[in-house]
Amino acid sequence: MPMEVDQPQTTTPRISAGDFVLIRMPSTNTKIVCMKPGTTISLGKFGSFKADNLIGQTFGATFEIQKDGKIIAQAPTAFDNADDTEANNKEINDDPTSQKMTFEQIEELKLKSIAGDVSAKEIIDSLTENNASFEKKTEYAKSKYIRRKERKFMKAFTPIEPTVFNLCGYFFEVNPGKIRGIRPDTLSQLLSLANVYSKARVLTVDDGQGLIAGSLLSRTTSEGMVFAMHDGDVSNYDVVRYMKLSPEDKERLRTLPWHRLDHEMTPFTEVLPENPTEKDISGYERRKRGHARLASNLETLRAGEFDALVISTNYNVVSVIKRLLPYVGGSRMVVVYSQSEETLIEAFDWMRHSPEFLNVQMTESWLREYQASCSAPSHVLPEDA
Amino acid sequence: MGMFHEYKTTISAGDTVIIYLTPDSMYPLTMTPGAVQNNKFGSFKHDDMIGSKFGTKMRSHTGRGFIYLLHPTPALWTQVVPHRTQILYLPDISFISSYLDLRPGKIMIESGTGSGSFSHSIARTIAPTGHLYTFEYHELRATTAKQEFEEHGLSDMITMEHRDVIANGFGKTDLADAVFLDLPAPWDAVKAAKEALRKDTIGRICCFSPCIEQVQRTAVALNEHGFSDIRMYECLAREHEVRSAPVPDIETAIGGEKVNFKMSKSDRNKKRKLEAGSAEPSGEESAKLPEVLVSKPTDITRGHTSYLTFAILAPVDQQ
Repeated sequence: MPMEVDQPQTTTPRISAGDFVLIRMPSTNTKIVCMKPGTTISLGKFGSFKADNLIGQTFGATFEIQKDGKIIAQAPTAFDNADDTEANNKEINDDPTSQKMTFEQIEELKLKSIAGDVSAKEIIDSLTENNASFEKKTEYAKSKYIRRKERKFMKAFTPIEPTVFNLCGYFFEVNPGKIRGIRPDTLSQLLSLANVYSKARVLTVDDGQGLIAGSLLSRTTSEGMVFAMHDGDVSNYDVVRYMKLSPEDKERLRTLPWHRLDHEMTPFTEVLPENPTEKDISGYERRKRGHARLASNLETLRAGEFDALVISTNYNVVSVIKRLLPYVGGSRMVVVYSQSEETLIEAFDWMRHSPEFLNVQMTESWLREYQASCSAPSHVLPEDA
Repeated sequence: MGMFHEYKTTISAGDTVIIYLTPDSMYPLTMTPGAVQNNKFGSFKHDDMIGSKFGTKMRSHTGRGFIYLLHPTPALWTQVVPHRTQILYLPDISFISSYLDLRPGKIMIESGTGSGSFSHSIARTIAPTGHLYTFEYHELRATTAKQEFEEHGLSDMITMEHRDVIANGFGKTDLADAVFLDLPAPWDAVKAAKEALRKDTIGRICCFSPCIEQVQRTAVALNEHGFSDIRMYECLAREHEVRSAPVPDIETAIGGEKVNFKMSKSDRNKKRKLEAGSAEPSGEESAKLPEVLVSKPTDITRGHTSYLTFAILAPVDQQ
C-alpha cells in the first residue's frame, strides 16, 4: 500500500456542487438542502433561487433573492445604533387601529412581494409610515419592530456551513430525538474529554444516527480511525452524509454489528454454481466482500488498544462498557453521554467502585445565549428561548 | 514526539507524566533519571516510572499509598497547568473549539497566550498539519510558554511570539481560519484580526471577555469591521455527585427500631473494603438498610467565567 501523506484538511473555501448546505431564512428557521447543479431551491414565502447561483459563493454571507432566481450578496447589516432616545411607551396604547392600512391592502402588498414586484423594504416602509404609533416608539422599539417585519417579508437567506457544531444545532432544533438530544455545547465537551486528535483510534457506540461518529471522524485524519458498534445488520449513520467529509474520510468509519462481537470467523467457503448468472456472480462477490470486511473489522477491534471509548447508547451503560473496555488502552478516556442522569448514575457508581477507572466525574453542560447584536449594543440581555 | 497530540504506551526519560493522587490532587512531572519524587503518599523513584506503562498504579517505597502515572492530555493539563494568568477551562475551551470548527489542518491565531492552557487544546485538535500562531505581550509569560511548548513537543505546531498585537497587529495577512482574542480590549485588535483572517473563505472569530461592557464595545467593533452573525454565549459545566442513600420503610420506625441514617466513618471504611473485596464480612454488620442511588449538583459551582462573543467574516465578491 502506498504511504499516505496528510494534506491540510482545511475547508473547501467555497460552496461546491453536491454539498449539503444549511439555509437560514429570515424567520431564522433553517433547512438543509443539497446543492445539486441545475436545481431550484424553494424557501416558500421567502422565494426561490437557482442552486447554480450559490455554488462558488462563500458560506455565511447573506443573499437577497431577485425576481428571476438570481441572488445578490448583501453587505452585513449594521447596528441601528438605537441607544439614544428620549421616547418611551407612555403614549402608546394597545390600539388595533394604529395601523392605517387595511388587511386587504397588506395582503395585496404581500402577494406583490411574493411575485417579486415589491421589495421587503417597500412593504416595511408602508407599514411603518401607516402605523400611527411608530413614531412614538423608542429607537430601540422601532428597530425591534422593523426586525420583526424583516423576519416576515425579507426575501433573503444565509448559507451556513454544515460544520459539526452547526449540524448539531440544526438537528437539536428540528429533530432532537434523532441525535439523542445532544446539544452543541455538550457534544463539544464530549469531543474535548475524549481527547480526539488526528491519529486517534476511537471506539464508539452512537445510537444517535452518527452525529457523534461523524464528529469523531471530522477530528481525525487518515492516520486515525473511528470504530462504531451498531444495532441490526446495517448501521444507520444518516447524519454523517450531511457532513463535509471526503469518501476517504468516510472509509475510516469502520462498523461492527453487536451480534458479531463474539463471532468466530470461518473461511469463506461459498462456491459459484456452474454457469453462473450475472446475478449469481454479483451476489457471490458481494458476500465475499462482506466476509472479508467482517474479518478485517473483527481483527481491528480485537487488536484493541483504542485511544478512547465514546458512548451514546439506548442500552444499559454498564453492560456496554463492560463489553468494550477490554479493547481500550491504558490511561485513556471513557466518555458517556446521556440526556437523562438516571441512566448514568448506575454507571457512575459502578465505575467509581471499579479499580479499572480513575477520576470518575459526571457533569452537565449549561449554555445561555444573549441578544448581543439584535439592534443596540447597550441592550444586552439573555435570549428567552 | 509531542505527547499532547499523540498517545504513547511506555514512559521514557524526558516525558511529562501527570501524577494522580486523588481527583483534587494531580501535578505534572518531567521524567528525570536518578530523580526521586516525594509526596504525601511517600517517595517514588523516576527510574521506576521510566519504562512503566502509562496508567500504571505505583506503590510508594514506604508503602503509605499509591499514585497513578497518567498520560498527559490537554484536558488534564488544564487542571495542572501552573497558573501565570487566569486560564480557560474545559467548557469554554470545548465550546470555542467546536464553534470555530477547529480540526486537523486549521490555521489559528490566539492572543494572549496566557498560561497556555487553551494553546495545548488547540494544538492537539489542529495537529499535525494545522498551525497555531500565539501572541503574548508579557515577555516572561511568552518565554515560559515557549519553553513549555518545546518540552511538550509542540513547537512544530505552535509559533509563540512575544508581541503587543494591539500596538503592532499580528503581522499576518489572509492566513488564519480562526482568531481567538483574550485581551483586555479586544475591540482594539478586531482590525488586525480581520487582516489576519483568510479572505477566500469564511473566517471565524471569538472574543473572550469577563465583563458585559467589553462585549458591547467588541460587538460594535466587529460590526464596524464587516463581521456578521455576531452571537454571544456563556457556557459552564455543573458537576453532579452520586451517593447511595438509605431509604428505610417508615414501618421500621413505627416498629420502634432506631434507624441510623448517617454512616460512621469506620462503617464507611468497612463498606468500602467489603465492596473492594479486601475484607471478609464479619457478621457484625447491622441489618442492611434499603438504599437508592441519588445524585445532585455539587453545592457550589462556578457561576461565571467569561462571555464568548463570536462572529464570522464572510467575504463577498464585489459585483
